[in-house]
Amino acid sequence: MAMKDYYLERRQFIERCALGAFGLSVLPNLATGAESSTGNGFGKAKRIIFLQVKGGMSHIDTFDPKVGPTKGPGDAIRTKADFQVTEYLPKTAQIANRISVIRSMSAKVGVHGPAQYFMRTAFTERNTIQHPNLGAWAQHYLGSSHETLPSSACINTSPKNGNGFFPTAFSPIPILDPQKGLRNTKTRSGSEDLRERLALSEKLSSFFSARYPDQRVKSYREFYDNTLRLLRSKDLDSFDLTKEPVSIREKYGMNKFGQGCLLARRLVETGVRFVEVATDGWDMHNNLQGEMEDLSPSFDQAYATLISDLDNRGLLDSTLVVLATEFGRKPNFNGNGRGHYPICFSSVLAGGGVKRGFVYGSSDKEGAYPDDPVTVHDLHATIGWAAGLPLKKVFQSDSGRPFVVGGTKAKPVLPIFA
Amino acid sequence: MIIHFRFLSCFSLLCFFCFASQKEIFAVQNVAKKNSISGKNQKKSKAASVKKRKTLLKSSTSLSNSEIKNSPPVRPNLSLRMETEQIKSAASWIDRIISDSLIKSGQKPNALSDDFVFLRRIYLDIVGRIPTDEEARDFLKDRNQEKRSKLIDKLLISPGYRSHLFNWLADLLRHKGTIKRTNYSNYERWLKDQIVKNRTWNGMVFDMLTVEGSIASSGPAGYLLRDPGMPLDNLSNTLNIFLGANVACAQCHDHPFADWTQREFYELAAFFGATDVSDRDPRKVGNKLKLGKGDLSKQDVIKAVAPNLARVHTISSQKLKFPEDYAYSDVKPGSPVDPLLFIWGEEEPSVDVDSENPKNLRKNFAQWLTHKENPRFALSIANRLWKRSFGLAVQEPIEDLDDLSKSSNPILLELLGRIMVASDFDLREFQRVLFNTKSYQAKVGVMPKSADSDKYLFPGPVLRRMTAEQAWDSILTLVMGENLDDFKIDRSHRVTRFEFPFYEMSPQAVVKVIHDMKRKGHVSKNIGSRLNELDFVNGKRPPKIEGEYLLRASEMTQPAKDNHFLRMFGQSSRDLVNDSSSEGSIPQTLMLMNGEVQYMLSNTESRLSRKLKKSGGLEPAIQFLFLSFFGRPPTPEEIFTIKTATENGMRPEDLTWALFNSTEFLFVQ
Repeated sequence: MAMKDYYLERRQFIERCALGAFGLSVLPNLATGAESSTGNGFGKAKRIIFLQVKGGMSHIDTFDPKVGPTKGPGDAIRTKADFQVTEYLPKTAQIANRISVIRSMSAKVGVHGPAQYFMRTAFTERNTIQHPNLGAWAQHYLGSSHETLPSSACINTSPKNGNGFFPTAFSPIPILDPQKGLRNTKTRSGSEDLRERLALSEKLSSFFSARYPDQRVKSYREFYDNTLRLLRSKDLDSFDLTKEPVSIREKYGMNKFGQGCLLARRLVETGVRFVEVATDGWDMHNNLQGEMEDLSPSFDQAYATLISDLDNRGLLDSTLVVLATEFGRKPNFNGNGRGHYPICFSSVLAGGGVKRGFVYGSSDKEGAYPDDPVTVHDLHATIGWAAGLPLKKVFQSDSGRPFVVGGTKAKPVLPIFA
Repeated sequence: MIIHFRFLSCFSLLCFFCFASQKEIFAVQNVAKKNSISGKNQKKSKAASVKKRKTLLKSSTSLSNSEIKNSPPVRPNLSLRMETEQIKSAASWIDRIISDSLIKSGQKPNALSDDFVFLRRIYLDIVGRIPTDEEARDFLKDRNQEKRSKLIDKLLISPGYRSHLFNWLADLLRHKGTIKRTNYSNYERWLKDQIVKNRTWNGMVFDMLTVEGSIASSGPAGYLLRDPGMPLDNLSNTLNIFLGANVACAQCHDHPFADWTQREFYELAAFFGATDVSDRDPRKVGNKLKLGKGDLSKQDVIKAVAPNLARVHTISSQKLKFPEDYAYSDVKPGSPVDPLLFIWGEEEPSVDVDSENPKNLRKNFAQWLTHKENPRFALSIANRLWKRSFGLAVQEPIEDLDDLSKSSNPILLELLGRIMVASDFDLREFQRVLFNTKSYQAKVGVMPKSADSDKYLFPGPVLRRMTAEQAWDSILTLVMGENLDDFKIDRSHRVTRFEFPFYEMSPQAVVKVIHDMKRKGHVSKNIGSRLNELDFVNGKRPPKIEGEYLLRASEMTQPAKDNHFLRMFGQSSRDLVNDSSSEGSIPQTLMLMNGEVQYMLSNTESRLSRKLKKSGGLEPAIQFLFLSFFGRPPTPEEIFTIKTATENGMRPEDLTWALFNSTEFLFVQ
C-alpha cells in the first residue's frame, strides 16, 4: 500500500526512511533481551543460505533411506557420519560429518504453492496479509547487514513479497539467473558518462528537492547515491560469477542450482545476510528413478561443494545452510513415482553453530510417521535462534495483527546445536 | 459497534443548506429502485444464458461453428450528467469545510497551483499519464477563465480515464489475469466495460456480489472467484474493500482491538453459506472423463473445462457452520450459523432478509452492503477516491473506518459520503467534484509523519510519487505521444470461447463438446502467451520497440511479469488488497538508470528522439524536453546549468537521461 509507511510506529518509520532499501542502517542492534545471553548456539549464524527444493524432495530417496516395501530405487550408502543417505547423494555422503539431518519434519499442507509459502514464512498463506521470510525478520531485528549491499537476496526465484508485512525495502534482491548476476548494472555509455549524467540529474533535482522538504524526495536521491556507490564499489563483484576461478565454478556445477549456490556463497561472504537459492523439478509423480538420476547428481554436487567450500574458507561455523523442501513424498512406492507427503519428511541444517554429523528425530520403518516431530514453525524458530532473533518478541503489523518469528507455536530445536 | 457522529447534528443542518436548494439537481438516489433495475438486468442476462444453453443442448455443433472472437466493444458513455454549476457548488462546500478547519487550527489553504503544475497533475490523476508537449501548449495558451474545469471535463470522458481507473480498481480488487490455471480476462473485460459505460459503483458491486455463473459465462463472477475455496478470506476482503472494516482478526477470534466478534463475522459470512466457489481442480475432471481413443489429450480437457469449473453457484442445502475450535460460550462449536446483518448504530439500512430461501441471501447481503443508508459504503469509496487524488485519505488507514472520529476532518468525510450518495454513486461525477475544488488545485503540501496523519487538514494535496502505472504510461507518452490509447487488448475470447453448460451435461456429451472444440481449433487457436490478432481491439496492432509491443499498463498481463518495469516500480502483485508500493529500491534505481526504458526513450523511432532531432538548436531542445517531461518551461537557472554541462560535452541523449532520472519526473506535484 502506497502510503502505508506513514502509519507506522515511530521506530518503524525511522527504519523505513533510514533508507532506504538496503544501505544505511541507522538502527542499533536490537537483538538484546533475555535470549541473547543464553548459549547453545544463539546468534552464531551471522549469515543464512536457505535452499529451497521446489516440487517436494522425497525423504526416503535422499536423507532418510529405508529398507523393505517403501524403499525406493536407490540403495542406502554409508557416509562420513554414522547415518546413511541414498546412493543418489554420494558427494553429500562425503560431507555428512559436517551436517545435521532432521528426519522428523512434519506439516499438514500437501499442495505446492501453499506448502512453499508455508516453508518460506512458517505461516499459512492467506489472502488478507503477506508474511515475511526470515531474511526480512532478521533485517527488522538486526538491521541492515551491509553498507552498500542488500541484506537479502533470492536466486533462481522471484522475491514474491519476501518482505511480507515489513517495508518493501526489506524485499530480497532477485537474481533470476546467477550467470547474469544483478540486472541493469551495465551502463550504455560507460561509467564516466554516468557520473556526468548523474551530476546533471542531481543538480536539476536539487531545485526540486529545495522546494519540498519531503522524506520521499530525499530518499529517492539517496537511492541514486547508494546505487552509484554500489556500482563503483568492489562489492558489486560479488554478483559477478566470472570473477570466480573456472575450477571453482565447475566444482559447484555449471548449472542453475550449482551456480546459484556459488553466487550465494559469494554474496554471504561479502555481507548479504540471507540468501535463498531455489532448485526446481522435484515433483516426481511418475518416473522417480529417471528423474532422480537426472536431478540428483547436480544437486548433490552443488550442495556438497557449498558445505565444504564454506568450511574450507572458515565460514561454515558462522553460516547456517538450510536445506528445505515443500514436503516429503509418499512412502508407498509403486515402482513409478511418489505423491505428495507432508506428514513426514527431512530437512538438513549445516553450520551456524549446528552439530556436525548429527541426526535429530526419526521416522518409522516405512518413513511414514515422525517420532518427536519438528514442525515448520519449529524449523523457523531454530533458524531464528541461530541467527540471534528475539523469538518471543511480538511485532504488530500495520493492520494491528501480532506476529512472532515462526508463529506462536514455534519452539527452537535446541539439541541440534553444538 | 457504535460510531460516534459527534458532528452529525450540526452537519445535517449544514448539509441541508448545501443540498436543499439542489434537490432536483442532485437527484436523490432511490436505492430500492436501483436494485430492482439491477435485479432486472440480472434476470435478463440469466434468461439470455438459459436461451443460449437450450440452443447448446439441442446441438453441440452450433457451438463449435461459432467464430472465436471478443464481443464487440461497448459504447462509451460520454455525457457528464451533472451541470457545471452543481459541481462547483459541491466543490465549494468541500473547500469551505476544509478552510474552516484550517482556520480553526490557525492555518490557511495553500495558494492555487500554477497552470503548469495543475496541468501535469490533472493529466496524471485523470488519464494516468503526463501530457505531451502539444497538449501542454494547448492548455497553457488557452485564455479561457474556465479552462481548468473544461480540461477536467474533457479528460474525464477521454479514453485514458478508463485505463487509469482500471489500474486502480485492479489493485483494489486484486485482479489477476490467471488464477489457478484459469483465465480471468472475462472479468477484466467486464470491469473495463463498467468504467467505459460509467456504471455506478453500487451497481457494479451489487453485480459482483450477486452474480451466478462461471467465469466463461459471466465477467463479474471473477470477484467472488478471486479466493477459490477461501470464502472467509473473500468476505474479509469484501468488508475491507467496500466498507472499510478491518475484520481479518475476527475470522479466527474476537477482534482484539475493535468491536468485531468472531460470531458477528460468521453471521455475515452465513450470507455466503450457500454460495459455492469451491476450488475445483480441472485436472481431476480430466482424469474422470473417458476420453476414449482419439486426439483429445488431458491438456485439452483442462483448457476447455477450467473456465466452466470456476463458477459461482448456489447450493441451497449448504450452510455455514461455526468452527470446531470456536472458543466462546454463546454458541456451540460446529453448529450452523444463522445469517444476521450487522447493525452500525441508529441509522441502519432496512433490508428484509429472506432466510428461508438461500438463493436470496447473497442478494440481501448485497442490498445491505450497497444501500445508500449503509453508513460505510459511500464513505469508504469516497475516502478511497479522495486518497487517490489528494495522496492521503481523510481517514487513515483506509481499511479501518471503525471509529470515524479518528478522521482528520469528520465533517469533511461525512460530506464526501453524502456527495457520493447524492451523485448516485457515479464515480466519475464524484471525482469531477474533487478535481474542481480549490483544495485539489492548490499547491501540494508535504506528506505528514505517521503520527500526524490525522492532523493534515488538506491545505492542498500532498506530494506523491507516481504510481507504477502512471510512470509507465508517462514513458509511453514520451515514446508514442497521445495516440497510446488507440491500442487496446481484449483477451476475453480466450475464456468465453469455452463456455458450455458443463454441469448439465453427461460425461459423454462433455467429451463430444470438447472434441468439437478441438476439431474447430478452439482449444489451441490464438490462446498462447503471445498476443495475436484476436486480442487487438478493432484490429489495431500496437507498435513495437525492441521487439516489445508498446501497451499501456492496463492492457498488459495483469499483473505484469516480475521483472517488468511496472513491478519493479511498485505495481501490486495483486495478492493483497491495495498493495502497490511507492517505495524505492536499488534494483529499481538500476532499472531507471540502465533498464529497457532507456532503450525505449532513446530509440530513434521514439517520438521523443524524432522531435528532439527536429527541435533545431539547444535552446529549443531544452524547451521541448522540459515541456515533455515536466509540463513546464525551464527556469533561467536550469538553462544555465544545462548549457554549462553541454559546453563540457554533454549530449542531448544525456540530457534526456538526466531529466528522466531527476526526482521531478517521478513525483506528482
